[in-house]
Amino acid sequence: MSIGFLHPGLLWGLLAAAIPLAIHLFFRRRPRPTPFPAIDFILRARRETQRRLRIRKVLLFTARTLLLAAAALAIARPRAERPGEAAAAVAEGPKATAIVLDASGSMRYRLGGRALFERARADALGALASLGPDEPATAVVCGGETPAAEPPGFDRATVRRMLEQAEAWAGHSDLTACVGAAVRALASPPAQARLGKRVVVATDLAASAWRLDVPPPAIDGPEGKVLPEVKVQDAARGAALPNLAVVGLDAEPDPAAGPRGYRVTAAVSSSGGEARKDVPLGLSASAGPGAKTAIRAFVDLPAGGTVRKALSYAFPQGGPAVLQVALPEDALAMDDARAVALVVPREVRALVVDGAPSPVRYRDEAYFVESALASPASPVRPKLVDADAFPAEDLSKYDVVLLLNVRSVGGKAAELERFVENGGGLFLALGDEVDPEAYDRELGKLLPMPLHVVKTAASPAEGGARAARFADVAWDHPALSIFVGEAREGFLGARTYRYVLAKPGPKGAPATVLASFDDGAPALVEARRGRGRVLLFTSSADRDWTDWPIRTSFLPAMQRFAGFLAGGLEERREPALVVGAQRTIRLEPGEKLVALVDPGGRERGRAELERMGLREGEHGGLVVTPREPGLWQVKVAAQGKGDRLEPRLAFAVSPDPRESDTRRLEPRELTAYFGGESHAKIEGDAQAAGAGRTIPLWSILLVLALAAFFLEGLLIS
Amino acid sequence: MPDPKRPLLDPAVLAKLGTLKLRVRAVTEGVLSGLHKSPHHGQSVEFAEHKEYAPGDEIRHIDWKAYGKFDKYYVKRFEQETNLRAYLVVDASGSMGYRGDPGRLTKLEYASALAASLGYLLVRQQDAAGLVLVQGQVAGAIPPRASASHVTPVVEALEAARPQGETRLAAAVDWIIENAPRRSSVVVFSDLFDQDERIVKKLAQLGRRKHEVTIFHVLDPAELEFPFDDPTLFLSMEDGRQVEAHGRDVRKGYLEVLGRWLEETKRTAAEADVDYALCRTDRPLDEVLVPFLARRERSAA
Repeated sequence: MSIGFLHPGLLWGLLAAAIPLAIHLFFRRRPRPTPFPAIDFILRARRETQRRLRIRKVLLFTARTLLLAAAALAIARPRAERPGEAAAAVAEGPKATAIVLDASGSMRYRLGGRALFERARADALGALASLGPDEPATAVVCGGETPAAEPPGFDRATVRRMLEQAEAWAGHSDLTACVGAAVRALASPPAQARLGKRVVVATDLAASAWRLDVPPPAIDGPEGKVLPEVKVQDAARGAALPNLAVVGLDAEPDPAAGPRGYRVTAAVSSSGGEARKDVPLGLSASAGPGAKTAIRAFVDLPAGGTVRKALSYAFPQGGPAVLQVALPEDALAMDDARAVALVVPREVRALVVDGAPSPVRYRDEAYFVESALASPASPVRPKLVDADAFPAEDLSKYDVVLLLNVRSVGGKAAELERFVENGGGLFLALGDEVDPEAYDRELGKLLPMPLHVVKTAASPAEGGARAARFADVAWDHPALSIFVGEAREGFLGARTYRYVLAKPGPKGAPATVLASFDDGAPALVEARRGRGRVLLFTSSADRDWTDWPIRTSFLPAMQRFAGFLAGGLEERREPALVVGAQRTIRLEPGEKLVALVDPGGRERGRAELERMGLREGEHGGLVVTPREPGLWQVKVAAQGKGDRLEPRLAFAVSPDPRESDTRRLEPRELTAYFGGESHAKIEGDAQAAGAGRTIPLWSILLVLALAAFFLEGLLIS
Repeated sequence: MPDPKRPLLDPAVLAKLGTLKLRVRAVTEGVLSGLHKSPHHGQSVEFAEHKEYAPGDEIRHIDWKAYGKFDKYYVKRFEQETNLRAYLVVDASGSMGYRGDPGRLTKLEYASALAASLGYLLVRQQDAAGLVLVQGQVAGAIPPRASASHVTPVVEALEAARPQGETRLAAAVDWIIENAPRRSSVVVFSDLFDQDERIVKKLAQLGRRKHEVTIFHVLDPAELEFPFDDPTLFLSMEDGRQVEAHGRDVRKGYLEVLGRWLEETKRTAAEADVDYALCRTDRPLDEVLVPFLARRERSAA
């Protein structure tokens, strides 16, 4: 029978038992001198009662000490553990032992001011120290990839050093795999075949670390598979591990929030605790512990549930940016904040060339386009010119040029080609002014598809029944991906009466049809020309050929087209990595990686990064495996510019949501997995005391304390 | 609790009276007013006996009627000469300076008030009262006389006495044996905290010499009840001894030892035909004096 404590940290309270002694030694009351004539009688009385008084004093002192010690011990919840069936079934004699130390993210949980990992390490070292001299040992630190364990040996110093130098990482660990590796290591040395096998697992019993749907690890013996003795040491000592975490973060452009507005959706979870109300949630536009909160919100969390909270935020300017959502720090700090790196669309400068101006505004060719681009939430700043003024414009001042029903670009065609080749965007809308053959001649190199003839599907007077509608839409294209759900109806409902048919383009100049009309004729065609993009709409941008300009989908579509043509929509960051996943850093020509700045602000130089596994990627770039969650910044050196942090390359690393789930495994379940109580034993867990094999002693101690209290009162009276 | 009818007899009230003379007056007036019919009136002038004349006797005391009847000279002896001669033995040792409460009289003050009052009452009824003051030895003695003016030096001597020295009543016993030629009444006022544990038996020796011995055992209530609860360093009042004890711890034992001692003292006094009265210093003085005087009257009758 052994004695264990549910809350061993509270054993410090035993120091209270020294209070009576301390009072006796240091706070003794000074006797008051009093002249008294009958001193002989006092002396005689003392002589007669001295023995009785001494016994009474000793009893009083003992009662007081016992009272405090018993109360302190009772608070630590001691229990006597009978060896029971497990001990009986386990073979006697020395055993080869593998110690598995759980180094997963949840082990960073701080309980009673101390990380669970530190407790588990102490348990593991204690298990190592308790081994007999004839028991070989090995250790498996279960963090990150499943390590291959060394066969057990007698070099205790190496095993101890391995355990002492281990650190809990922020990612997920598969304890089932680690125990499997440990069992394989125990089975490997033939010289130890006769020894018993024992696996000691120091863990927090987080359920997410175990896969109990696979067969338990076993050792192949001459008589078949043998289950090893498994001793699981619960670092949490049976305590629940309540944890709040930000388990998801998503940021999507939100036109309703302004030109650079984003809708930020955070998923907040609560595990292992009670329902919480009004949990503060802060959104900041920078990462790290010192991030200044821009928006503060509150969420109500159900017990063991997850809620999503949406917040809107508008960036003051475009470019690379970071958003971080954070909860108040709790016992597991690593998942209290989550960051996302994104590129906020820059302002798009657009030149709108009006091919058919009109003094009546709504009949003007560019009226609807300009209105759409110049709306308050639009990132596009349009400039409207008519076709006659177009040749005088300097295209280098613009990101996108929109030619709306322009008869001819004349000598500007060559400049327009260079403009697109160098990364500019060109939008073409047709109309009555456009001669398809002339367009093919002037802009043949730029057109995604050669134009053929104008087709009239119906006249506006005939109504919408015969009009063409959009079909086969590439909804996943960046320019059209904003249309989801009912929003697509506004796109598909547009009726087009007349449009230009396009011919297949020559080989080597691929074009992408983003949308067709319901007769199969291309409606929206995209092509890349050099570093730029061209988008052709085969109908008009005013109401002459189609009613799309007055449909709800026209405004966002035009803004997205402008953004897409300017290259802004594709400047999307890859989704945040999970700890332990690989990140490829793609440097511009002439740039050189100097260092990475981790979420804690520590700069990790090239040499350290190489020790961390930095390598050249198979498809170019540098591959690194960050092991801490948060925002990582990249310091580069470019010719003539010196070392600088490149915001474009910054990336966010998220903690593994599995490690935020701190719900604990039922000890009986784990015991059953390892072959029942005859093979497995959970130590340090109150629930493991089930089936009557653990006797709670705290109630006995409380009775003892109560008895001491009454004895003390009796002696005083 | 002071008696509202006789406030001046309450020791707490007496303690406020500055001098022993005032205390004596207060006590004796109270005692006398309580005695209503004085049993002592006229006793001192009555004829007592005849004695055959011997040279040296007063010629004026020759009873000529007896000479005429018997033809022999007889001298008349009066009651005055056979009246009580009382030695008031007052213990003025250091332990008698104790009082458990500042509002009370010390044991010596209480004993002095008792002795002086008794002296006054004795003299008033033509008895002779003397004083023996003991402080380790006989520190002062005033022979007994019956004159009214004799009370004054007795009171002054008592008032001047300061508690000091050890309790050694044997010295007083020796002194009385040596200096009291006739049968006398010896009234002892002491706490009996004597080095000689057999002091009562020693006092009883006076009884064998025909002296009548009365002990007023004066003790403070604190000595009888031991009201100490805290750790206390008890200092001896007669020598350098001291003992540290927790009042609560030793009270029971102390009271047991004290009770045995008082019982033993009382029993020894009774066996030796010594009159014994335990006097708490918070007890009204008349409660001590009147029974004593009544006993005296009965024995005289």
